[in-house]
Amino acid sequence: MSEHSHVRRKPAFDHLFYWFMFAQGGVLAAILIPVHILVQGILGPLGIVRVVDRHYDTWINVLSNPLVKLYILVLIAFPFFHFAHRLRYLLVDLGVKQAKSLPAQAVFYGGAVVITLVALYLVLTTAPIQF
Amino acid sequence: MPRNWWIRRRHYFTYILREFTALPLALWLLWFLVEVQRAQNGPKSYFPHSSTGFVIFSVICLGFALYHSITFLSLAGVILHFKVLDRPVPSQLVVLSMFGIWAVASAVIAFVLIYFAR
Repeated sequence: MSEHSHVRRKPAFDHLFYWFMFAQGGVLAAILIPVHILVQGILGPLGIVRVVDRHYDTWINVLSNPLVKLYILVLIAFPFFHFAHRLRYLLVDLGVKQAKSLPAQAVFYGGAVVITLVALYLVLTTAPIQF
Repeated sequence: MPRNWWIRRRHYFTYILREFTALPLALWLLWFLVEVQRAQNGPKSYFPHSSTGFVIFSVICLGFALYHSITFLSLAGVILHFKVLDRPVPSQLVVLSMFGIWAVASAVIAFVLIYFAR
Protein backbone atom coordinates (compact mmCIF):
# COMPACT_ATOMS: atom_id res chain seq x y z
CA MET A 1 0.00 0.00 0.00
CA SER A 2 1.45 3.34 -0.96
CA GLU A 3 1.99 6.21 1.43
CA HIS A 4 -0.58 8.30 -0.43
CA SER A 5 -3.39 5.83 0.13
CA HIS A 6 -3.45 6.81 3.84
CA VAL A 7 -4.09 10.45 3.03
CA ARG A 8 -7.80 11.19 3.37
CA ARG A 9 -8.88 13.55 0.65
CA LYS A 10 -11.34 16.24 1.60
CA PRO A 11 -14.15 16.76 -0.88
CA ALA A 12 -13.66 20.04 -2.73
CA PHE A 13 -16.95 21.60 -1.64
CA ASP A 14 -15.87 25.10 -2.62
CA HIS A 15 -15.16 23.95 -6.19
CA LEU A 16 -18.47 22.11 -6.25
CA PHE A 17 -20.24 25.28 -5.15
CA TYR A 18 -18.44 27.50 -7.69
CA TRP A 19 -19.11 25.13 -10.59
CA PHE A 20 -22.73 24.59 -9.56
CA MET A 21 -23.36 28.34 -9.42
CA PHE A 22 -21.42 28.95 -12.67
CA ALA A 23 -23.28 26.24 -14.59
CA GLN A 24 -26.72 27.08 -13.22
CA GLY A 25 -26.11 30.78 -13.77
CA GLY A 26 -25.07 30.12 -17.36
CA VAL A 27 -28.11 27.96 -18.11
CA LEU A 28 -30.54 30.38 -16.44
CA ALA A 29 -28.99 33.37 -18.23
CA ALA A 30 -29.27 31.49 -21.54
CA ILE A 31 -32.89 30.48 -21.00
CA LEU A 32 -34.35 33.57 -19.32
CA ILE A 33 -32.55 36.75 -20.41
CA PRO A 34 -33.04 36.98 -24.23
CA VAL A 35 -36.84 37.17 -24.02
CA HIS A 36 -36.67 39.92 -21.37
CA ILE A 37 -34.36 41.97 -23.59
CA LEU A 38 -36.54 41.38 -26.67
CA VAL A 39 -39.87 42.18 -25.00
CA GLN A 40 -38.93 44.78 -22.37
CA GLY A 41 -35.93 46.29 -24.12
CA ILE A 42 -37.08 46.42 -27.75
CA LEU A 43 -40.73 45.53 -28.48
CA GLY A 44 -42.16 47.42 -25.48
CA PRO A 45 -40.25 50.71 -25.92
CA LEU A 46 -40.98 50.65 -29.68
CA GLY A 47 -44.70 50.23 -28.97
CA ILE A 48 -44.96 47.00 -30.97
CA VAL A 49 -46.55 45.11 -28.06
CA ARG A 50 -48.04 46.15 -24.72
CA VAL A 51 -45.70 45.19 -21.89
CA VAL A 52 -46.33 45.18 -18.13
CA ASP A 53 -43.51 47.59 -17.29
CA ARG A 54 -44.82 50.38 -19.58
CA HIS A 55 -47.35 51.48 -16.94
CA TYR A 56 -46.94 51.85 -13.21
CA ASP A 57 -50.14 50.02 -12.20
CA THR A 58 -49.51 46.89 -14.29
CA TRP A 59 -45.82 46.82 -13.34
CA ILE A 60 -46.50 47.16 -9.61
CA ASN A 61 -49.27 44.57 -9.89
CA VAL A 62 -46.86 42.01 -11.37
CA LEU A 63 -44.09 42.95 -8.92
CA SER A 64 -46.40 42.31 -5.96
CA ASN A 65 -46.72 38.63 -6.84
CA PRO A 66 -44.45 36.53 -4.57
CA LEU A 67 -43.62 34.15 -7.42
CA VAL A 68 -42.43 37.11 -9.52
CA LYS A 69 -40.34 38.34 -6.59
CA LEU A 70 -38.74 34.90 -6.27
CA TYR A 71 -38.25 34.76 -10.04
CA ILE A 72 -36.48 38.15 -10.12
CA LEU A 73 -34.18 37.00 -7.33
CA VAL A 74 -33.28 33.86 -9.31
CA LEU A 75 -32.91 35.94 -12.51
CA ILE A 76 -30.33 38.12 -10.75
CA ALA A 77 -28.52 35.85 -8.25
CA PHE A 78 -27.47 32.92 -10.44
CA PRO A 79 -26.58 34.81 -13.65
CA PHE A 80 -24.58 37.45 -11.73
CA PHE A 81 -22.46 34.75 -10.13
CA HIS A 82 -21.91 33.35 -13.62
CA PHE A 83 -21.02 36.83 -14.94
CA ALA A 84 -18.56 37.38 -12.08
CA HIS A 85 -16.82 34.09 -12.86
CA ARG A 86 -16.69 34.72 -16.60
CA LEU A 87 -15.47 38.31 -16.34
CA ARG A 88 -12.77 37.36 -13.84
CA TYR A 89 -11.49 34.63 -16.16
CA LEU A 90 -11.81 36.98 -19.15
CA LEU A 91 -9.29 39.25 -17.43
CA VAL A 92 -7.07 36.26 -16.60
CA ASP A 93 -7.19 35.15 -20.26
CA LEU A 94 -6.31 38.68 -21.38
CA GLY A 95 -3.17 38.57 -19.22
CA VAL A 96 -4.34 40.37 -16.07
CA LYS A 97 -2.71 38.08 -13.50
CA GLN A 98 -4.10 40.06 -10.56
CA ALA A 99 -7.55 38.74 -11.48
CA LYS A 100 -6.50 35.40 -9.95
CA SER A 101 -5.77 36.97 -6.57
CA LEU A 102 -7.94 36.67 -3.49
CA PRO A 103 -8.86 40.39 -3.47
CA ALA A 104 -10.01 40.09 -7.09
CA GLN A 105 -12.14 37.07 -6.18
CA ALA A 106 -13.62 39.06 -3.30
CA VAL A 107 -14.42 41.96 -5.65
CA PHE A 108 -16.05 39.84 -8.39
CA TYR A 109 -17.96 37.28 -6.31
CA GLY A 110 -18.59 39.84 -3.58
CA GLY A 111 -20.02 42.14 -6.26
CA ALA A 112 -22.40 39.38 -7.34
CA VAL A 113 -23.48 38.92 -3.71
CA VAL A 114 -24.00 42.69 -3.26
CA ILE A 115 -26.16 42.91 -6.42
CA THR A 116 -28.16 39.89 -5.23
CA LEU A 117 -28.73 41.61 -1.88
CA VAL A 118 -29.79 44.81 -3.66
CA ALA A 119 -32.25 42.74 -5.75
CA LEU A 120 -33.55 41.09 -2.57
CA TYR A 121 -34.04 44.52 -0.97
CA LEU A 122 -35.82 45.84 -4.08
CA VAL A 123 -38.24 42.92 -4.46
CA LEU A 124 -39.08 43.06 -0.75
CA THR A 125 -39.61 46.82 -0.60
CA THR A 126 -41.01 47.78 -4.02
CA ALA A 127 -44.53 46.31 -3.82
CA PRO A 128 -46.38 44.68 -0.91
CA ILE A 129 -46.87 40.95 -1.44
CA GLN A 130 -50.27 40.15 -2.96
CA PHE A 131 -51.59 36.97 -4.53
CA MET B 1 1.87 34.52 -24.06
CA PRO B 2 1.44 37.75 -26.07
CA ARG B 3 -1.45 39.95 -25.00
CA ASN B 4 -3.03 39.91 -28.44
CA TRP B 5 -3.18 36.09 -28.66
CA TRP B 6 -6.98 36.21 -28.83
CA ILE B 7 -7.10 38.13 -32.13
CA ARG B 8 -4.70 35.78 -33.89
CA ARG B 9 -7.26 33.09 -34.66
CA ARG B 10 -10.99 33.22 -35.25
CA HIS B 11 -11.54 30.39 -32.75
CA TYR B 12 -9.69 32.30 -30.00
CA PHE B 13 -11.64 35.46 -30.80
CA THR B 14 -15.02 33.70 -30.56
CA TYR B 15 -13.91 32.16 -27.24
CA ILE B 16 -13.12 35.60 -25.80
CA LEU B 17 -16.33 36.98 -27.30
CA ARG B 18 -18.24 34.23 -25.47
CA GLU B 19 -16.61 35.23 -22.19
CA PHE B 20 -17.32 38.91 -22.91
CA THR B 21 -21.09 38.32 -23.31
CA ALA B 22 -21.29 38.47 -19.49
CA LEU B 23 -20.65 42.23 -19.48
CA PRO B 24 -23.56 43.46 -21.69
CA LEU B 25 -25.93 40.95 -20.08
CA ALA B 26 -24.95 42.15 -16.59
CA LEU B 27 -25.45 45.79 -17.67
CA TRP B 28 -28.88 45.04 -19.11
CA LEU B 29 -29.98 43.26 -15.92
CA LEU B 30 -28.85 46.29 -13.93
CA TRP B 31 -31.17 48.41 -16.13
CA PHE B 32 -33.91 45.90 -15.32
CA LEU B 33 -33.27 46.41 -11.58
CA VAL B 34 -33.37 50.20 -12.08
CA GLU B 35 -36.84 49.80 -13.56
CA VAL B 36 -37.93 47.78 -10.52
CA GLN B 37 -36.49 50.50 -8.27
CA ARG B 38 -38.33 53.25 -10.17
CA ALA B 39 -41.65 51.67 -9.16
CA GLN B 40 -40.83 52.33 -5.50
CA ASN B 41 -41.75 56.02 -5.54
CA GLY B 42 -45.33 55.86 -6.75
CA PRO B 43 -47.08 56.35 -10.11
CA LYS B 44 -46.18 60.03 -10.57
CA SER B 45 -42.44 59.51 -10.58
CA TYR B 46 -42.48 56.21 -12.51
CA PHE B 47 -41.26 56.15 -16.09
CA PRO B 48 -40.05 53.10 -18.06
CA HIS B 49 -36.91 53.03 -20.21
CA SER B 50 -38.08 54.42 -23.55
CA SER B 51 -35.22 56.25 -25.24
CA THR B 52 -33.81 55.33 -28.64
CA GLY B 53 -30.47 54.85 -26.93
CA PHE B 54 -31.97 52.21 -24.63
CA VAL B 55 -33.50 50.34 -27.61
CA ILE B 56 -30.14 50.38 -29.45
CA PHE B 57 -28.42 49.20 -26.26
CA SER B 58 -31.00 46.40 -25.95
CA VAL B 59 -30.53 45.32 -29.58
CA ILE B 60 -26.77 45.03 -28.99
CA CYS B 61 -27.37 43.15 -25.71
CA LEU B 62 -29.84 40.81 -27.45
CA GLY B 63 -27.12 39.86 -29.94
CA PHE B 64 -24.75 38.97 -27.10
CA ALA B 65 -27.56 37.21 -25.19
CA LEU B 66 -28.42 35.01 -28.17
CA TYR B 67 -24.73 34.23 -28.69
CA HIS B 68 -24.44 33.20 -25.02
CA SER B 69 -27.62 31.11 -25.20
CA ILE B 70 -26.65 29.25 -28.37
CA THR B 71 -23.07 28.54 -27.29
CA PHE B 72 -23.88 27.67 -23.66
CA LEU B 73 -26.89 25.44 -24.39
CA SER B 74 -24.97 23.67 -27.18
CA LEU B 75 -22.35 22.68 -24.60
CA ALA B 76 -24.99 20.77 -22.64
CA GLY B 77 -24.58 17.80 -24.96
CA VAL B 78 -20.90 17.59 -24.09
CA ILE B 79 -21.29 18.13 -20.33
CA LEU B 80 -24.50 16.29 -19.46
CA HIS B 81 -24.59 12.51 -19.74
CA PHE B 82 -27.80 10.64 -18.98
CA LYS B 83 -28.84 7.04 -19.19
CA VAL B 84 -32.40 5.94 -19.84
CA LEU B 85 -33.06 2.19 -19.49
CA ASP B 86 -29.27 1.64 -19.30
CA ARG B 87 -28.78 3.36 -22.66
CA PRO B 88 -26.94 6.69 -22.97
CA VAL B 89 -29.09 9.54 -24.26
CA PRO B 90 -27.56 10.92 -27.52
CA SER B 91 -25.90 14.30 -27.04
CA GLN B 92 -27.98 15.81 -29.87
CA LEU B 93 -31.14 14.92 -27.94
CA VAL B 94 -29.76 16.60 -24.81
CA VAL B 95 -28.98 19.78 -26.78
CA LEU B 96 -32.38 19.66 -28.49
CA SER B 97 -34.06 19.36 -25.07
CA MET B 98 -32.17 22.39 -23.78
CA PHE B 99 -33.23 24.44 -26.80
CA GLY B 100 -36.79 23.19 -26.29
CA ILE B 101 -36.72 24.34 -22.64
CA TRP B 102 -35.39 27.72 -23.83
CA ALA B 103 -38.27 28.06 -26.33
CA VAL B 104 -40.94 27.09 -23.79
CA ALA B 105 -39.51 29.36 -21.06
CA SER B 106 -39.30 32.28 -23.51
CA ALA B 107 -42.92 31.75 -24.58
CA VAL B 108 -44.13 31.63 -20.95
CA ILE B 109 -42.17 34.75 -19.93
CA ALA B 110 -43.31 36.66 -23.03
CA PHE B 111 -46.91 35.64 -22.31
CA VAL B 112 -46.71 36.94 -18.71
CA LEU B 113 -45.02 40.20 -19.77
CA ILE B 114 -47.61 40.87 -22.49
CA TYR B 115 -50.82 39.30 -21.08
CA PHE B 116 -50.72 41.26 -17.81
CA ALA B 117 -50.13 44.58 -19.60
CA ARG B 118 -52.94 46.93 -20.50
